[in-house]
Amino acid sequence: MANRTDPAAKSIRGTNPQNLVEKILRSKIYQNTYWKEQCFGLTAETLVDKAMEIDHLGGTFGGNRKPTPFMCLVMKMLQIQPEKEIVVEFIKNEDYKYVRVLGAFYLRLTGTDTDVYQYLEPLYNDYRKLRQKLPNGNFALTHVDEVIDELLTKDYSCDVALPRIKKRWTLETLGTLEPRRSALEDDFEEEEEKDEDDQIMDDVDNGAYEKGYHHGRSPTRERDGDRKRDSHRYRDRDYDRERGRGRDRDRERDRDRDRDRERDRYRLRDEKEYGRERDRDREREGRERERRDRDRGRRRSYSRSRSRSRDRKEREGGDRRKRHARSSASPRRHGDGMDNGGTRDEPKKKKEKEMKADGTDHPDPEIAEANRLRASLGLKPLKV
Amino acid sequence: MIEVVLNDRLGKKVRVKCNEDDTIGDLKKLVAAQTGTRAEKIRIQKWYNIYKDHITLKDYEIHDGMGLELFYN
Repeated sequence: MANRTDPAAKSIRGTNPQNLVEKILRSKIYQNTYWKEQCFGLTAETLVDKAMEIDHLGGTFGGNRKPTPFMCLVMKMLQIQPEKEIVVEFIKNEDYKYVRVLGAFYLRLTGTDTDVYQYLEPLYNDYRKLRQKLPNGNFALTHVDEVIDELLTKDYSCDVALPRIKKRWTLETLGTLEPRRSALEDDFEEEEEKDEDDQIMDDVDNGAYEKGYHHGRSPTRERDGDRKRDSHRYRDRDYDRERGRGRDRDRERDRDRDRDRERDRYRLRDEKEYGRERDRDREREGRERERRDRDRGRRRSYSRSRSRSRDRKEREGGDRRKRHARSSASPRRHGDGMDNGGTRDEPKKKKEKEMKADGTDHPDPEIAEANRLRASLGLKPLKV
Repeated sequence: MIEVVLNDRLGKKVRVKCNEDDTIGDLKKLVAAQTGTRAEKIRIQKWYNIYKDHITLKDYEIHDGMGLELFYN
């Protein structure tokens, strides 16, 4: 009888409001001492007093999943179903942060989409700290705005599956909601203006640099210098790739990518150019790799057929020697360092291909599949 | 690599391949991936012993082919 919903309460999302909390968790709450002692016969006013006493939020914890007082009060609110004005008062009050979060959680469970966004978004500006009880029983530090973000973006919080709400941009296109105005908007506008100015300076600088005469000292000038240097490096990379310098290539690519990423913030215009260059390089690299694989395959089968004869060792030795030698008679441009670089690359490439770190290319498809799942969960691969 | 069988006696029977040095928490994640429940909602027991998340299968002496009980929180 004490667990029945108020008969005057409306049904929420087509069901008894208490059913928003799952059966198992609901039973746990009904058996909880806090619920039986403190939450008996609470009304909206006395609920406020109890809410002011909470000092942590959370779902369930421990081996047998004991609910927190926060959870019990949420359940109580679902049971008595206070008026919307009262809930909004909970949210608007500035003094008690846990009362605020309690109201926000209840509104998220029971309110309409528009209400949820309308009342919860101002809470993004509240940076106060909160104590959260983790499922293993320890406490963790979190903030009001983090909790609100969880409520608005995730679909599970405090061991309760949050009901689905429409995405913000859907509501904006419908016109029921205005586009989001952040409290930091003024600061962003200032930064945007600064970026625009920089871009204008960039355009002027680029033209000047091509023609080869100097401009006034500006911060963008150094960046232009980098770009010129890098275009040379791009060209060197193509050169190296064709000869097969593996390790250096990867390092350079990473370094360039990082620098590119930094620069792109200021130069959106040149993104397309870089993208095109990079795509071209990637294509060429793909072709190179194909060609190399084909060659390797061919050479391997060649040695295998040969090895069947008795003087296998001799033949293989001869083969290997031939593999190391130059295939063409003409002198190579980079000298002898070239050959070692090329051959060092091949066996390393073979080994890399055969053993991936997370075992997702195991010959047994079941194990490979299991390893893929484990990798996605962040676990180490299976030890076969 | 061992294979553990989890049965919830209501129709859900799951075979999971895992390492011996995986923790129960990892096993719960693997089971969640296969059954579709959330990992936090799963409880693994053997008779009345509820298995804790941070202890490895090896320490619980769970061997290949052993059956565990699947309950929910």
